[in-house]
Amino acid sequence: MTATVSLVVLLVVLGSSIAVAAGMVLVGLILNGFYSPMPLTRMMGELAWATSSNFILTAIPFYIMFGEILLRSGIAERMYNAMTQWLSWLPGGLMHSNVGSCALFGSVSGSSVATAATIGVVAMGEIDKHKYNERLFLGTLAAGGTLGILIPPSINMIIYGVMTDTSVPKLYLAGFIPGFILTVLFSLTVLIACIWKPHWGGEKIETSWQERWRTLPDLLPPTVLLLIVVGAIFFGLATATESAAVGILGALAIAGWRRRITLQMLREVCEGTVRTTALVMAILVGAFFLNVVIQTIGLTQQLGQLIREYQLTPVQVLGAVILLYLVLGTFMEELSMMISTIPITTPLILQAGYDPVWFGILLVLLIQTAMISPPFGINLFVIHGLRGRGTLSDVEIGSAPFVIALLVIIALICAYPEIVMWAPRVFG
Amino acid sequence: MQRLQALAETISRGGAIVGGAMLLIAAIVICLDIFLRYAFSLTVGGADDLSGYALAIASAWGFSAALLTRSHIRIDTVYVRVRSRAARAALDVLSLLAFALFATLVAWHGWGVFYQSYVSDSHSQSAIEMPLVFPQGLWFAGLAFLAAVALLLLARAIVAWSRSDLEGLFRMIGSKSALEEAKEEVVAVEHGLEAEHKQ
Repeated sequence: MTATVSLVVLLVVLGSSIAVAAGMVLVGLILNGFYSPMPLTRMMGELAWATSSNFILTAIPFYIMFGEILLRSGIAERMYNAMTQWLSWLPGGLMHSNVGSCALFGSVSGSSVATAATIGVVAMGEIDKHKYNERLFLGTLAAGGTLGILIPPSINMIIYGVMTDTSVPKLYLAGFIPGFILTVLFSLTVLIACIWKPHWGGEKIETSWQERWRTLPDLLPPTVLLLIVVGAIFFGLATATESAAVGILGALAIAGWRRRITLQMLREVCEGTVRTTALVMAILVGAFFLNVVIQTIGLTQQLGQLIREYQLTPVQVLGAVILLYLVLGTFMEELSMMISTIPITTPLILQAGYDPVWFGILLVLLIQTAMISPPFGINLFVIHGLRGRGTLSDVEIGSAPFVIALLVIIALICAYPEIVMWAPRVFG
Repeated sequence: MQRLQALAETISRGGAIVGGAMLLIAAIVICLDIFLRYAFSLTVGGADDLSGYALAIASAWGFSAALLTRSHIRIDTVYVRVRSRAARAALDVLSLLAFALFATLVAWHGWGVFYQSYVSDSHSQSAIEMPLVFPQGLWFAGLAFLAAVALLLLARAIVAWSRSDLEGLFRMIGSKSALEEAKEEVVAVEHGLEAEHKQ
């Protein structure tokens, strides 16, 4: 009962377009008033301070800043151009570069929207030049952009880790293999489409080994930086926060080497970083308050009881949660969807006996699906906004095959949890 | 009141830039810490605390920057389907009211945290033993500023509402559409590319 009430109140408050951070506090206050005699607002100060000075969470602004520097220094554009030289021989040509660049840039930037926007800006001009099937091309950009939150380092995983007391390094380890498989699946989708309908793949781009070697310096520095940032976490040499700090310095070094550091750029980087960080932190402060209220009113135990009462099998619980996210994802903004539901769904899943690391990866995959499924997928909007012509449904149709690819990998990790759990067990 | 808001915008931008600079410095300190640890097996300590403080202060000041640029995330699925402009304006005011409540609540209890540290002279637990009143003072200042900005915006919105100046109200506190946000992201990227081509 309480669970249903909580969820309904949450959806009504957030649905009335109240800012998500304030909305969650409001829901917390309402639930507190109804179900607990203790005024929990007194904890608000301590909670806000503890949340926003949490060392693990400092990885969030660091990754945002890391992405901002790469974004504002043209590193990504050069990387994309180099990638086109190296991947153009595949049927579907540039579309593989789209996926590949998104995987690479996404893995260092930690944000899906920034990834889709960055690669999208550079790639968009190529559709007409090489006569690609426009819809599929747009689909690769929207879908490729979502790889940013699956391939470590991912801000979403840090948030999940901190909110559910799950080890962030383990989540990162768990994200590598599914991230790799999904990248291959996306590329395979393009490949199959272009073998089926060869004219979708556009004209072949002429290139030579000489040209490839010439562009290597544009591809290598970000790749090496990525290997350092990700490798340090993978082998346990540094925490997520530390590796992000190294990433910032590395990105500044590359930008400096290309003479791209100006005072104005630094100022923009600082301002952009703080604004994005603030909106994430505001939601987190709200979510932690709601989390405390939910725990105090005994919602977690009630959920467990509910499962026992109805004798739900773990698979049924999982199915219900997956369905919930697929439905929520069609109309909710992704970050707030994740943060506002974690306090309710994670205990439910854990009660059913699933591993928190495994569920973290599943959750990210579900959010990725939400990002490119109509009618409300943020990446669809980003790509459509970049394009400046045609209709939104072009992007939606183009993304559809990739939604299928995502559903395939979701089914895969449900059937074979080892895909996720192998790396954290062996390396963790 | 317009001048007051312009002043608030200047202050919050300044706060955001300083906050970002603190984060950048924290990142450099952490890198130094790693370097010393691997090169000389030296542990200095305190870098964790400092970056945590930088995050708290930067967020507190960033809250108002995000509020003034209408960047706080709102679920606008229903909002964009509401045809009546008056009803939309009502939703905007309601949202801001809730946000002002959130801001005042956090600032009010944030003062409690700061005051407690001042009375009991708390220090951080790490090697640097920093008196907590410094980071918490800057943090609380950011929160107090946020509450002030939220109340100022609320006052302005109500004035605009009573004059039926809905356009002005939407410009101040309207929900940004996803498309608008996407466009901003694009402008930022293109800005970076332009600079690249200028060379």
